[in-house]
This record gives sequence, structure tokens and C-alpha cells, in this order.
Amino acid sequence: MADELRKGFHRDLETIRRDLVRLAALTTEMVTRATDALLDGDAVTAQMIIDGDDVLDVRSLEIEHACFRLLALQAPMAADLRVLAATMRINGYLERAADLAVNIAKGAMRIQGADIPARLRGIIALMSDEAVRLLRTATDAYLDGDGALGAAIEDMDNHLDQLQRDFIEAMFALHETAAMAVQPAVQLALISRYYERIGDHAVSIGERVAFIETGLPAEPPAAERIRRRRAAHPA
Amino acid sequence: MSTEQVRAPQRPTVSRTQPEGVVTETPASPAVLQADDLHVYYGEFLAVKDVDLDVPPHEIVAMIGPSGCGKSTVLRCLNRMNDLIEGCRVTGAVRYHGIDLYQPAVNPVEVRRRIGMVFQKPNPFPKSIYENIVFGPRISGMPKAGFEELVETSLRKAALWDEVKDRLKSSALGLSGGQQQRLCIARAIASNPDVLLMDEPCSALDPIATGRIEDLMHELKADYTIVIVTHNMQQAARVSDKTAFFTVEVNPDSDRRTGVLVEYDDTEKIFSAPADQRTENYVTGRFG
Repeated sequence: MADELRKGFHRDLETIRRDLVRLAALTTEMVTRATDALLDGDAVTAQMIIDGDDVLDVRSLEIEHACFRLLALQAPMAADLRVLAATMRINGYLERAADLAVNIAKGAMRIQGADIPARLRGIIALMSDEAVRLLRTATDAYLDGDGALGAAIEDMDNHLDQLQRDFIEAMFALHETAAMAVQPAVQLALISRYYERIGDHAVSIGERVAFIETGLPAEPPAAERIRRRRAAHPA
Repeated sequence: MSTEQVRAPQRPTVSRTQPEGVVTETPASPAVLQADDLHVYYGEFLAVKDVDLDVPPHEIVAMIGPSGCGKSTVLRCLNRMNDLIEGCRVTGAVRYHGIDLYQPAVNPVEVRRRIGMVFQKPNPFPKSIYENIVFGPRISGMPKAGFEELVETSLRKAALWDEVKDRLKSSALGLSGGQQQRLCIARAIASNPDVLLMDEPCSALDPIATGRIEDLMHELKADYTIVIVTHNMQQAARVSDKTAFFTVEVNPDSDRRTGVLVEYDDTEKIFSAPADQRTENYVTGRFG
């Protein structure tokens, strides 16, 4: 058999993959730093995260353009096509996850100076660790082409969902003994939701990694709900 | 029609179409063509082995693979064109509407009338456009009275009528390459086949002429079943419903190269998520 053909194309594809992994690392780091800014009441760091998002957005657009260019010029097929299609989607998920980290930083600025109760601080730290773990796992799965690991992120995300429910419950419980001011309460509730959404994006990334390996599209959660409804109420 | 001829009705059952004395060991299949454990030899040399392939009616099947993988050899087996090659031997079966085409009672000329072929290089006869169309029907004894209609119908089906209707008596050699190829398709259609085999029909054509032939194939699907060999993967992806990927196996002892069918599936599957790593390597340009 001949040596590998289309070497230039495959080199470009590998460059895109590496750029996406860098974008994922940047996004993950933004989550950690946003949490630090929030828990430390550090407005300077928060502002740096907000400003830094522009750089991330530019990188994300560059990746999108690079994917589009290869689609237009190289007529990718099979695994190459799956990698490109999935990378474009994952790129979008990462960009949204970074926006959520920015939202956390903005929330941190809005409630700067307010005292966050210890119980809530603890859950915030756990949620942040969990969101970071999910993003890292999704990135590893993408880098290694490990579809099984990618698919497993959905189950791993249950823990983060539970932490967010715990957080809201803890807010209500604390409110009974010592009323919280509305602004910090609203911001904190929103912030918990941002962590939870970051986890959802990690799940979506994992699904795309599984798609790269299997070629089977992820089943939308709606499909399962429709099946259950039909089973409960047969026409 | 003599009993030696193969009769293929539109919706056949084997019992109805069997010529006398022809034993058909398999039940009627919806497939128009079936290759079953097909092996092709040139002398002692095994050129292609183990081909199993069903061609469903009114679909376009593309055969792709590197040079020497046997795709054209297999295509030529489908209408016994390999009979014309000295020393070529075929084992296994090729069934057309359930009838084994390689049984002695089958008339290869009739096979080629029902299973027409279009070649890589347009090869019109050095005659008028009109004469190119009626050449086959004239030989097979069709009454002359039907010629006018046959010429128009065939040229219309081949999307050539509007371009040549005012110069039917002009030489076919004066047509452009793309027009000549469509004339060859019209000529094949004039014999009233139900299968068209195309061996790299666009490789000598420019992109616009290629686009016309590809559009035409989509239209022809309504009336015919098409099998196309192409070197152009994008073309296979664009035009076909199913794709067969062939590759070459090298015998380490003899250094002989034998073609083998690796994967046959829906075209979308072959080009988006093929099952076999060799297919994946070929369509993504990763060999070895």
C-alpha cells in the first residue's frame, strides 16, 4: 500500500484538534479562577476573567473558521468528517462554558463585599471542582478519542446537578434563620445555575466525542421522554 | 425469442422468467443483480475473490477502490463482458433477476442488451447521431417504423434531445465529449435494458459535462438500475445510494495482487462512518 495521502490536510486537522484542546484548557482555567474571584471577593481577578473572554472568543472563531475552511477545501470523509463536525460543535460548547465562567465573575463583582455563608461557600467550591472535573474529563476524552469516556460524562454530571439542588435548598434553610439580602441571594442562585450549565456543556462535549468514535448521533433526551410518555399513554 | 434468451420482466418471479433447462437454485430476490461468491481468474491468476453483492432495483450502486482492486473486472462480470477477454474465467454466480448469467443456456448477447454498458471514453460509432441510436435495434430486427420515436425517446432520456434534434443526421463525432457520452447512454437505452453499467463514465469529461451526466443518472434511476465504477470518491458520494469498496490484497509468497470486496453499505454510511478500518483508511486518504 502507498504511504499516507493527504498529509497536509491531516496536519491541518491535527492543528485544529490541538487548538481545541487549548481552548478547553483555557475555559477550564477560567472556571477555577472565577470561583477564586467569587470566594475571595477579588474584583481584579473577576475583571481579568471578563476581559480575557474576548481572547477566548477570537480563538474560538479561528477554530470555527479553520474547520469551515477544511470542509470547503478538503471534502473530508469518514473519521475526518466526524472529527470536523464534532469539533465545530464542541467549539461552541466551550465558548458557551467560558461565557458562563464570565457570568460567575460578573456575579462575583456584583456581590463583592457581601458575606457568603460558610455552608454556601463549601458547596460553591464543590460545584466548581465538579464542573472543572467534567470539563477535564471531556477534554481528555476528546484528546484520546475515547468515546466510552465521553459517553460516561452524562452519568458523572448527576453529582453536579445534585450539588446545585443542595445549594438552593441550603439557601432556603439559611434564609429561615438569617434573612439574606435579595441581590446576593439572586446572584448566588444564578451562579449555582451557571456551574450546573457548565456541566451540561461538558456532557454535550462527551456526546460529540462518542459520535467521533461511533458515527452514531447522540440520542436527544427528548426522545427518551417521548418514549416514556407514549408508554404511559398509548394512543 | 428463443429459449436461449434471458427474459427479464419488470417485476419478475423466477419461475416465470426461467428459460427452459435453466436451473435456478435460489428463490427470486428483489435484487436486480446479485454476485454470489464471485471469483475472477485471468488464466491461473486470481484477479478478484469472494465478491458478494446485491444490486437493488432503481438504485445507483458505486464501486470504488484503488487501481487494481478489481472493481472494473467485477463490473464487466455483471454483463459477461469478460467473456471477450482471453483466458478470463469466472466462478461463483452472477444472478440477474434470479437467473445465473453464467449458465450455458444463457445467451451473452441478450445479457448485454438487457444490461447495457457505458465506457470510460465516449465511443460513438463513426456514423450519424441517428444511426448510433438505431444501430442495435436494427440488428436485433426492430421494424424501421419505430425508429423515429425510438431516437427521440432515447435522446430525451439521455438529456441530449434538445441539443441535437436539428442535426440528427450529422456525425456523432462532431459532438463534444460530454454530448458523446450522453449519446452512448442514449444508445444503450435504445436497446431497452433495465440495468446500465458505467465504467468511469465521467473521467474524460470536464466538471460541467460531469455534472450533466450525474444529474442524468438521478433521472435515469426512475427507469433503470445503475452500477457505476468511479475513481472519484466525491462522485460516488454524490450520485450513489450504495457504495462497494474494493481493495487489493498482496499475496506475500507470490507477490500477486488480488482484488477483494471490503465493505458494501449505504453510501452515507461508507463516507461518514464505515465499519471496516480499510474503508476508513481509503476514504480518508490514510493508507497502510
